[in-house]
Amino acid sequence: MRVVCRCEDVTYEDVVKAIREGYRDLESLKRKLRIGMGPCQGRTCIPIVARILARETGKKVEEIVLPTRRPPAKPVPLGLFVRK
Amino acid sequence: MKYEVAIVGAGASGLMTAYFLLEKGVERIVVIEGSYIGSGSTGRCGTGIRASFTSEENIVMMREAIELWKKLSAELDFYYRQWGYVWLLTDERLVSAYKEFSRLHNKLGVPTEVKSPEALDELIPFMEKADVLAVLHDKIAGKADPFECLFALSRHVRERGGEIRTHCKATKILLSGKEVRGVLTEEGTVECDNLVVAAGYGTRKLVKTVGVDLPLENVVHHIILTERFRESLKPMVVHTATGAYMTQTKEGHWITGVEIEEEAGGPFSVRHDFIPKLMGIWSRYFPFMRNMHLLRYWVGYYVMSPDHHPILGPLPGIEGLYVMAGYSGHGFMMAPSAGKCVAEWIVDGKPSIPQAERLTYERILEGRLIEEKAVIG
Repeated sequence: MRVVCRCEDVTYEDVVKAIREGYRDLESLKRKLRIGMGPCQGRTCIPIVARILARETGKKVEEIVLPTRRPPAKPVPLGLFVRK
Repeated sequence: MKYEVAIVGAGASGLMTAYFLLEKGVERIVVIEGSYIGSGSTGRCGTGIRASFTSEENIVMMREAIELWKKLSAELDFYYRQWGYVWLLTDERLVSAYKEFSRLHNKLGVPTEVKSPEALDELIPFMEKADVLAVLHDKIAGKADPFECLFALSRHVRERGGEIRTHCKATKILLSGKEVRGVLTEEGTVECDNLVVAAGYGTRKLVKTVGVDLPLENVVHHIILTERFRESLKPMVVHTATGAYMTQTKEGHWITGVEIEEEAGGPFSVRHDFIPKLMGIWSRYFPFMRNMHLLRYWVGYYVMSPDHHPILGPLPGIEGLYVMAGYSGHGFMMAPSAGKCVAEWIVDGKPSIPQAERLTYERILEGRLIEEKAVIG
């Protein structure tokens, strides 16, 4: 078992299985497997999953469209937003 | 190959319609999605499902939707919880208005109840009651996981022989006289007898290609999600005075949004004043939220109609053309009954829920707008 997403406990096998089930872009894989949705915001898993996706679909890594990046870059306490 | 029905948009509306068409034995169907499944409003929504509205049309459509949510989540195996909505009422005017709404709900078979703030001890035991004078408890309301639901529906549609094409934009409706004959897409023409356009604001753009300009506006809404916690906030809690809402997702994230003034067609981007507004409301009732971490912030659209009800069903004057759009923030929750009704319109010529017939475009052409007061978020 090879873990590719440590935040959401997703393995290499999970990724390959999902791609073969038809989740063939990163936006869909993200929502199916929750890769990129944990506290690391995809910094660890997205490049790895992009490479697996490229290999499985016969594309170059550069051709894989990256998912939309959403703020914040890293989790921050909500208390920062409370007006005094 | 000519399809019996082509559906534009693989969100909750489009895929629910596909589901109910298959139930009725219509098998030559195709769903055409311009991006990925759930890329529009469904995938960005606040996950809530309720019938505590203030118009008969919304209340009955949602009440029927809730029955279908129960059935579909069990049959297709996706996350749905009937854990209720708790509307916090913080001034006397709201208390009397919601007592009145509750009488209407009850009359239409939705068992809401105005209760004293002590009801919160059981419903949300860790919440500070602060200025809450009363709560409206809608115990049949609930929530579902949008993507689990869409993926389960997609799998079902494909297993039953329906087609779903993603990353394929529909660009023009093709007519033969006053009848639909197909839809033009980036990958060529799709011929069909009936066309359902369930594409959010894209519905307006696509229907414009046959000369009808639906009165829909795109208004940006904002939403955030926290890090994960164990199951804690079971119901959806609504701060009625501001329309702020909050619940917890299947994975344990707390998810919350509130309305903040936006112009129709405004920029599709995050704002620095949104989270301060949210925290200004919630930190009083949930002081510990200051220590919870913000994980993600995104925006989505409420596709607004002139009267906060969807434009649903056949478009007058064009045979075979149906629309589902303009839910004004309530499309995910209404999708099962809306999809069922559109499938019935196509196959039987008429929906089984009489209130749906009052939601067609004709009401707008004829100036019969419906009032709805409980639009939040």
